[in-house]
Amino acid sequence: MARAFLRQKQHYVALLDATERAMVAGLMEQTRLILAPEVESTGDPFTDLVASMGVSLAIEDQVEGERQPDPDDKSSGEHDSDSSDFTDRDPALDRLLPTAHRGDDQVAAEFRRLTEEGLRQRKSGNLDVALRALEAAGTASGDRVVLDAEQAPAFLMALTDVRLLLGERMGMRTEEDAARLHDLMETIADDDPLGYALAWYDFLTWMQESLTHAVMGESPPEPSV
Amino acid sequence: MFAPQLSLAPLTEEVTSTEEIVSPDLPWVTIVWNDPVNLMSYVTWVFETYFAYPRAKCEKLMMDVHHKGRAVVSNGPRESMERDVEALQGYGLWATFEKDR
Repeated sequence: MARAFLRQKQHYVALLDATERAMVAGLMEQTRLILAPEVESTGDPFTDLVASMGVSLAIEDQVEGERQPDPDDKSSGEHDSDSSDFTDRDPALDRLLPTAHRGDDQVAAEFRRLTEEGLRQRKSGNLDVALRALEAAGTASGDRVVLDAEQAPAFLMALTDVRLLLGERMGMRTEEDAARLHDLMETIADDDPLGYALAWYDFLTWMQESLTHAVMGESPPEPSV
Repeated sequence: MFAPQLSLAPLTEEVTSTEEIVSPDLPWVTIVWNDPVNLMSYVTWVFETYFAYPRAKCEKLMMDVHHKGRAVVSNGPRESMERDVEALQGYGLWATFEKDR
């Protein structure tokens, strides 16, 4: 039986049993697969930055005399390659990495080109932190999931991305969708995958709500809020 | 945003203008849009953590996002707005930037 996150001295502690941990970890792993950066983080920010710009630091890749594309050069004719990036994308990816400019696709494409890889790396990194925290919790430690002050924000962001993905998969794109889906819960068959997904979505919501209030130094919300 | 135990009545208010925090010499704005997934508490926490705005201002911006469908959360030169959008998207908020009209 799960217990939501509470602040305990310098840590945030929740109780999740083995099934709950496995389920949450499984959803986080799926989210991480979808977000996987082209270049996995090396742990060195400079190397990661250069790698994410498509420039290799490896000696064998440094072709004599070849000029690498200048990331600040916005005048080159790159529109064909950028516009093709918008097709064949998983719709969930557009929710996790949404367009940054509504109304100017060219500006949005340029922004995406410069930021997407870095965002994928950071989001994957958050999911890794959260997955390690779940792995560290065991039956021997009383099913306690323990986060320190640095892990808690990463865990919150990881929960957000999992909920965004799950929400997108359930067709939850507007407030009306959310209300409709929750109304559906009253009548949905027990073995309907949608009901199962929504139940876990609500579980993650409940976890995230408790952790957010804990890091903000607040009590959990009153039922009347 | 989805708030537990909160009424999820459809939004009917039409948004015609952005907030008055925009000053004329800083022509670019960062906008956060409402979505059904992000929690009201979490959005407030993101504004507080990233912008270091006072809690009351964060809550007002969050309520604007929730009720009006969007809120201008920062303004300044384009480069700063792009940085804000990238950071807020890292937190999972639907942030965009545009030239203020």
